[in-house]
Amino acid sequence: MSEEITRRDALGKVVRGTVLLGFAGGAGYLVKKANGQIVWQVDAAKCVNSRLGEVGAQVCTLCTSECVVSQSAVRAVNNFSKCGRCYICPAYYNIKSAVDEKGLPSEKLCPRDAIERKPIGLIDPEDPANNFYEYIIDEEKCDGCGICVKGCKEPLGLGSIVLKVRYNLCVDCNRCAIASACPKDAIAQEQVKEALEIEGAAKPVT
Amino acid sequence: MKYKQVQVISGKGDASDRFVQTLRSIAVDGRNRLYAVGDSELKIFDPDGRVQRRWPTSKPGYAVAVAADGSVYVGQAGQVEIFDGEGRLADRWSDAERLGRVTAIGFLGSSVLIGDANDRAIRRYETGGKFLNNIGKNNRMQGFLIPNGVLDFSVDADGIIHAANPGKHRVERYTPEDHLLGHIGRFDGLDPSGFSGCCNPTNVTVVGRNRIYVTEKAEPRAKVYDFQGKLLSVIATVVFDPNCKNMDIAVDTRGRVYVADTVRLEILAFEEDAQP
Amino acid sequence: MKSIKLTWRSVVVLLALVLLGLTLASKAPGQAMHYERPVETAPQPEAIGGGYVTPEVQKPQPRQYWLQVLDVVLLAAAMGISVWLVLSQRSRKWVLALTVACLAYFGFYREGCICPIGSIQNVALALADPGYSIPIVVTAIFFLPLLVALFFGRAFCGGVCPLGAIQELVVLKPVQVPRRLDNALGLLKYVYLALAILLAVKPAISRDFVICRFDPFVGFFRREGFAHMMLFGGGFLVLGMFVGRPYCRYLCPYGGLLSWCTRLAKRGVTITPSTELDCGLCAEACPYGAIEKMRAVRKECFYCARCYAACPRETKSGAAI
Repeated sequence: MSEEITRRDALGKVVRGTVLLGFAGGAGYLVKKANGQIVWQVDAAKCVNSRLGEVGAQVCTLCTSECVVSQSAVRAVNNFSKCGRCYICPAYYNIKSAVDEKGLPSEKLCPRDAIERKPIGLIDPEDPANNFYEYIIDEEKCDGCGICVKGCKEPLGLGSIVLKVRYNLCVDCNRCAIASACPKDAIAQEQVKEALEIEGAAKPVT
Repeated sequence: MKYKQVQVISGKGDASDRFVQTLRSIAVDGRNRLYAVGDSELKIFDPDGRVQRRWPTSKPGYAVAVAADGSVYVGQAGQVEIFDGEGRLADRWSDAERLGRVTAIGFLGSSVLIGDANDRAIRRYETGGKFLNNIGKNNRMQGFLIPNGVLDFSVDADGIIHAANPGKHRVERYTPEDHLLGHIGRFDGLDPSGFSGCCNPTNVTVVGRNRIYVTEKAEPRAKVYDFQGKLLSVIATVVFDPNCKNMDIAVDTRGRVYVADTVRLEILAFEEDAQP
Repeated sequence: MKSIKLTWRSVVVLLALVLLGLTLASKAPGQAMHYERPVETAPQPEAIGGGYVTPEVQKPQPRQYWLQVLDVVLLAAAMGISVWLVLSQRSRKWVLALTVACLAYFGFYREGCICPIGSIQNVALALADPGYSIPIVVTAIFFLPLLVALFFGRAFCGGVCPLGAIQELVVLKPVQVPRRLDNALGLLKYVYLALAILLAVKPAISRDFVICRFDPFVGFFRREGFAHMMLFGGGFLVLGMFVGRPYCRYLCPYGGLLSWCTRLAKRGVTITPSTELDCGLCAEACPYGAIEKMRAVRKECFYCARCYAACPRETKSGAAI
């Protein structure tokens, strides 16, 4: 009887030791491979709202509607260095709306009025058309619906506005519902450093 | 006035008459031959659309123009190359301060006008290469507003320079001494006689004393106005690839309008439709 | 038992082969047009003038690293406390307190994420795909509870795991599930585990982390969710009032791994034959079927300490149990 217990004990020890070794090996391999935190990010070159070549498609609002949390973390971000600073911005204005008495379109595109338009540089007080304008998106009002992204897309605009995941808002789910729903598989996991880069001006589709 | 499409010249491909990656500028000479620059090559098409001659340029070409004596000017990034009619390089102008990306070339008497897209101004040079003055830079914006990256202009029969200012949705008229005489055009997203989007028209060519031909992007189209700014005709709209931008336009002595489709890399030819 | 397992296994393997075949058969889309765009066409600050400087685009950072490390430390600490409370202190009251505390922190504050159950998928993918790597924190979260299980059993399940904790708190009138049914249902864990791993190691386009997708309680932890998610979780909680911890016993894939490690554990809840009274009060008190024939079935034991509370001979120094 006692021999059996001892043998079982010994066997248990051996198996436990082996399992521990296995754990150590697995954990060691994984730790060695570890490369920092990974987060979800939108690839502007694939996103329907910003990728070149997608003509006539409707605005894709899945980035804001699919998230399991009530307010998704996707926002429209304007890469200022790539923005044209135009007097009439096709992402700010609805260029298909009637022109008002000032010569500007009468309607704005953003349903939440999240874009602020202000003149920059050497401001001409007499002729507003003589100024460059900065378009700043307020991320508290923006919900990532993508309408302005579509308006900025080449060739209508310069493609400086893209949809991006904002990490102060994203829960960072292991399984991103938006990523699963995206028709172009534009949302993937990236290293934090790469994910924080804002490109704008979507790369060509090849 | 209505126009009908009569021909499609060139296209995308590897053959000698086709372009591989880019088609950026077209021009017509006095004998109605069509000159087109794209990739790093210049191709000359006869009036029937067959490639007659072609030669390489040292850098990708952004602009082409044919002088009265038959020499061919090709604008590139940082330089202008001047070829004779057979393709031999006669001269190369480079000016680190004044020649960035040359997107348009025109002639006015004995001067050569060169459009610099980097500095957003037109440079006026003597035929020998001596710089005379800038055009279009003496304003609050310090140049033309060209977010599309192409500065295009054309010289009319009276020596007035018509330059497209897309950021302001108009075509402006300048004297060679840089006096702004006036402009035509206004923004309008709904009315076809206006210029839509953020920056239109992208390209312009002027014929005689009363015709301004322009092309636009984002719903690409080619239109023709008179000098008072009245829209005479929408030459074509849906036949272009919807992603076209900066389509160059040229008109020959027969009134045939050529437009370069920058995505499909083909040149579409239109003629006035005689039928009412 | 062995024959049932083999048949399940072969079914799962067949499924896996079919899935593999399907994923290999899907091809990438064809070539599209090449669109050339001019460079640097946006106005530069010099062109804009007036002392204008291009503003920086905001780059908000994700959760700070030291906070993630803190989570791992707290996890280890909570498991240590669980072991101590159950095996040394044998206090049901304090185990309950730990359960509530862990539910509050790991459940409602951290919203149940990152959890070791879901980390199975990430670890499997990281082992299978050379291009995919996981942060060290995730590796730690996966291995720590297994390590503890190798020596002490399912201390993680004992009030630390927020999914377990929330079910633990709704146990009302638990039925004793018949042994054979309990064992049969318990096999579902392994099916779920296999399915989860198979779907996790697929290429990114067809990958699906089902454990996260079908997590019943994440809607409660986030205090929001789609209606069907909340109903699903609510259903589990209602069931949990009458069947002790249904998710943990029959579905949790990590529980499958933990129970295998627990078989090798030396320490754990023990009923000493020489001192036990054969009264059966502990077996009645255990809602999880972890006491069978007056012996503790350690691989089922969720470290809840109800048995200690029920034992009439229970004293701090040592007892029947």
